[in-house]
Amino acid sequence: MPGLPVSPLTPSPSAPAYLTPTARTLPAGAGRPVPPDILDRLRSIVGADHVLVTDGDVEPYARDATPLFRSRPGCVVLPATTSEVSQILRLATEHGIPVTPRGAGSNLAAATIPEHGGIVLVLTRMAALKEISGDELLAVVEAGVTTAELADAAAAQGLLYAPDPGSRTVSTVAGNVAMCAGGLRGLKYGVTRNYVLGLEAVLPTGEVIRTGGRLWKDVAGYDLTRLLTGSEGTLAVITEVTVALLPMPAIARTGVAYFPTLAHASRAVAGVIHDGIVPATLEFLDNRCINAVEDFARLGLDRDAGALLLFGDDGTAEAVERSLAIMASTCEREGARGVTMARDIAESEALLTARRCSLPALARLAPITMLEDATVPRTRLAEMVDRIDAICARHDVVCATFGHAGDGNLHPTIVFDPADGDVRHRAEAAFSDVFDAAIELGGTITGEHGVGAAKRPYLERRLGADQMALLRRLKAAFDPAGILNPGKLGS
Amino acid sequence: MTTVGEPPATTRGIFDPQLLSACISCGFCLPACPTYAQTKLENSSPRGRITLMRALEDGRLDADDPTLQHEAGLCLGCRACETVCPAGVKYGELLEQWRDHQWRGRHTPLVAGGLRMGVRVTTALAAGGLVRRAARTTGPADPSRPHVMLGCMERSLYPGISRAVLRLVPDADVPAGQGCCGALHAHNGGSVEGARMAATLGEAMPGTIVSTSGGCAAYLDHQLGHGRVAELSQFLVARWAADPSSKPRLRKILVDGRVARIGLQDSCQLRNGMGVSAQPRALLREIGDYVELPSAGTCCGGAGTYSMLQPTMSQAVLAPTMVQAQEAELDYLVSLNVVCQRQLATGVKRSRVPVQVIHLAELLELALAD
Repeated sequence: MPGLPVSPLTPSPSAPAYLTPTARTLPAGAGRPVPPDILDRLRSIVGADHVLVTDGDVEPYARDATPLFRSRPGCVVLPATTSEVSQILRLATEHGIPVTPRGAGSNLAAATIPEHGGIVLVLTRMAALKEISGDELLAVVEAGVTTAELADAAAAQGLLYAPDPGSRTVSTVAGNVAMCAGGLRGLKYGVTRNYVLGLEAVLPTGEVIRTGGRLWKDVAGYDLTRLLTGSEGTLAVITEVTVALLPMPAIARTGVAYFPTLAHASRAVAGVIHDGIVPATLEFLDNRCINAVEDFARLGLDRDAGALLLFGDDGTAEAVERSLAIMASTCEREGARGVTMARDIAESEALLTARRCSLPALARLAPITMLEDATVPRTRLAEMVDRIDAICARHDVVCATFGHAGDGNLHPTIVFDPADGDVRHRAEAAFSDVFDAAIELGGTITGEHGVGAAKRPYLERRLGADQMALLRRLKAAFDPAGILNPGKLGS
Repeated sequence: MTTVGEPPATTRGIFDPQLLSACISCGFCLPACPTYAQTKLENSSPRGRITLMRALEDGRLDADDPTLQHEAGLCLGCRACETVCPAGVKYGELLEQWRDHQWRGRHTPLVAGGLRMGVRVTTALAAGGLVRRAARTTGPADPSRPHVMLGCMERSLYPGISRAVLRLVPDADVPAGQGCCGALHAHNGGSVEGARMAATLGEAMPGTIVSTSGGCAAYLDHQLGHGRVAELSQFLVARWAADPSSKPRLRKILVDGRVARIGLQDSCQLRNGMGVSAQPRALLREIGDYVELPSAGTCCGGAGTYSMLQPTMSQAVLAPTMVQAQEAELDYLVSLNVVCQRQLATGVKRSRVPVQVIHLAELLELALAD
């Protein structure tokens, strides 16, 4: 997060009255069943088939992809149009009913867990791919289009949708925007926020707003597009997204280097960037991850290596050739015990796909996989890797680490069996220390997964009291009744 | 309202806890699931169904919950989710355990119970009559020879398949006293009975068991251990590669003087459960102009008893294949399982697609040079 000052970790001052949020922390209907007359009105808005109310029907929406969090909603509503979303939100604000927007429910921060019950608003029925424009280099999609559907449709016209989150085959575009999803191309191409040109969104009070649009330059007003990007469904419900596309690079190639330790791989990453290369891909996995991924993907990875660095670049053949040669020699200089190049696109794609599967593949190791998302400046990566090792040893937990090394974005993942005594508390204590270490090194508690319910308790460490208060005031301005995703950002 | 983590105080012991805890709800299975593609509801996705199973196991939902009832039946059991699951969740086994519990007594869908019963009767009849027609054995069971297993539906509905296999595997033993493999039972809430039937069949057939039905093959493979069972295409490709002299001469199949255009419908259990998908394609490329349909690897909606239990969803799942078969101007649409064969045949008849649905064995027989 360049340019964003780290707030001092001062205790909350006794704030004057004008700084306290005007919104209620929780809406009136929090934790209560959705009243029958409201259910009837919801049915009249979206049709009876698109309101789920029975225990069994709503149970699967009690969860997302975050371990250890579940909370059953009062009902699940699946609108088909922006107008329906508007009517639902107006009704919810009027009656103080919590609304948790949800795309595919693949987020890893418990951001779509309806902690206080109410309505889960699922946007998967709004799935029209409205436009791909090669002339304007943009696409317009409804909220529920999946990331892969957008990327494939763009690719069919020779265009690249650059953001590449690991769950791209599952996640929705609006979900990516709401969480500001990152992914495997962050170093060279940035993340979701760098591609959002405009949004259609519905305010909790029912107004439909359009922010930004089809323009690369537009400074009329506050940048609400950026504000809603990463707002985690707490300010408005995103119903349509306009994204920027790029011409598809001529070729893409990938290589793999094996190192004795993750710290060696981290130094190679620093070396690559020092050499003036900004490649499309710099991903690393430690030995536990290598083995879990190999168990699933069977690519012939070196199971004995301490760490694997996946490096790759795209562009013109000449530039890619040069970039990969430099990266390979840097890896060798930093102690790589083997460097191999993918033979063809299929092999490159298989390696990237395998990397995207790291987290679920780790589930093979133990019943619970708890992963974090600490991110540090690239130059502090090796130091952070060592600190994570030390912290996990101190708390006696088993940790597997992978991540977007080029972005300084680490995914230390603690695996455990909940039946094993107090291991869960040890895991939480370890992660608390990991967050502190990241902040101390000039980093953040979450690089790309978001805050949600999972990291809400740690947010003030990163933002400080003043920014926390500002977040609450912003939230109150958008959502006076406090209905949207209560208990998360801005609460 | 949020429950964080602690395992519930009591569990009901319906599921193997290790199998159930393997899923981390990442959702990678969603794009692979044919029923999720239709409903776009979490409930009819593999991840959502596992969440339902957990609720059943933990006592948050009871077996008579209407959603549990509905979803236990709406799942095709195609196991496409298993192939994309990085966590290695054994969904097929979880589904068996779910239906064992869910479909006991009065909760058993009428058709499923009827078929389980029916197969028992058919098996008894078949042992006496239908199998004998195709049966061919030369005394006591000889483990060195391949044993052809005749699927229950095949015996009664598609005897031509059995005859074709005997021409393709001339040295095969076809024991007369073979029973049913038990897959139908295991997939319909009777896994204990299914396992017993599989074991009995394994004892009756000591050598390599060759099956013309992907569903039977995959179930026996799981029950009897890897290597005991081979589906027909798998068997032929391996045998003909190991001993080229055993391979008969195959010619291209012609239609109106040109090479026939052939499409394939994978058997889900075979493709997703046993990982066999290259072999049938290799054989079809030898005898015709093979066209890979986009939906070749996706369930056809036949799915054991599914087309009878869930006719509406079954037809919805089948629909894309019919459109694709027509657009590809196929002459033959090949099945690797009699259930798929029946489903596809009904489908082409209903949608008037001018393509002949045929089992791999019968098409290979057509290609045998005299």
